[in-house]
Amino acid sequence: MNRILVWDWPVRIGHWLLAGAFVLAWLTGDSETWRLVHVWAGGAVVGVVLFRLLWGLVGTRYARFASFVRGPGAVKAYFLGLFRHTLAEQPGHNPAGGWAIVALLSLGLLSGASGWLIYQDIGGEWLEELHETLASTMLAMVIVHVIGVLTGSLAHGENLVRAMFTGMKRGDADAAIAGARPLAVPLLLTCAATCAWWLAR
Amino acid sequence: MKALIPVLIGLFAVTAQAATPNEILAGYRAEAAKNNPRYQSSAELGAQLYRHSFGVSAKMPSCSSCHGDDPARGGSHVVTGKAIQPLAPAANAERFSDPAKVEKWFRRNCGEVLGRECSATEKADFITFVMRGR
Repeated sequence: MNRILVWDWPVRIGHWLLAGAFVLAWLTGDSETWRLVHVWAGGAVVGVVLFRLLWGLVGTRYARFASFVRGPGAVKAYFLGLFRHTLAEQPGHNPAGGWAIVALLSLGLLSGASGWLIYQDIGGEWLEELHETLASTMLAMVIVHVIGVLTGSLAHGENLVRAMFTGMKRGDADAAIAGARPLAVPLLLTCAATCAWWLAR
Repeated sequence: MKALIPVLIGLFAVTAQAATPNEILAGYRAEAAKNNPRYQSSAELGAQLYRHSFGVSAKMPSCSSCHGDDPARGGSHVVTGKAIQPLAPAANAERFSDPAKVEKWFRRNCGEVLGRECSATEKADFITFVMRGR
């Protein structure tokens, strides 16, 4: 088997941007001194998610929702295969990882939206509680995601963290994506920066 | 996700307890009285606490940095510039009406402005001052 490109540039940069922005927002969440940084980070989370929703429709093969959002049957079969060590390698997301992504994107969007309402002084204390619950649920989901990545790396004998940097995984040549799409990266960055600025107004 | 929604709604119904400022004040007074049975909350000490420059945070040295010199008039956040509604219950009925919210914001803001937790005595003095006004 060859090493092939599976994650394009917008997927990889978007992933680490989302991870960094979420961690920053989490760390600054309880501070007034860092309030603006918190709001910018939350805005960047929303911007990356909005871009990713679009990219899930028009991006490269494994970036598309149609390629990784699967029914519960597929998720069950994946876990059974994981326990029986009969997993077939797959170049893109596995069915469980696919749902982790859907959950993370939804939580990112909802926590950002609730954060924006709070920043506009709409909603009051119950909305702050909701915002904190959404963010905590997102952190829990991140931990599940990281455990899943480590488990998947061991099960498949492939460093999936490195793959999210290099974009390369083992696979057949015909499973590779068509290109790395670097030209979409400025759009991603613009989207993140615009949302960060707009939410902090 | 769908299964989470009723759980979330239930959670907020439980956490939002209504109380009056006097009830919340009485709670902190009772706690302060455990250490000093003769304790009386003081608006004067509360005012000193409110305006004292603790110097822990360069941007927000005192409560009044953001909440304004007069708790009945409100202020503005020194970092974001956003308006902050008055702390005085007489000017803003939402204030000191939810014990969990009061405790949460004492914890957060005392930590940032004083660099430590506030004592029950300080909280009772603070509320006494804010209720009286300047």
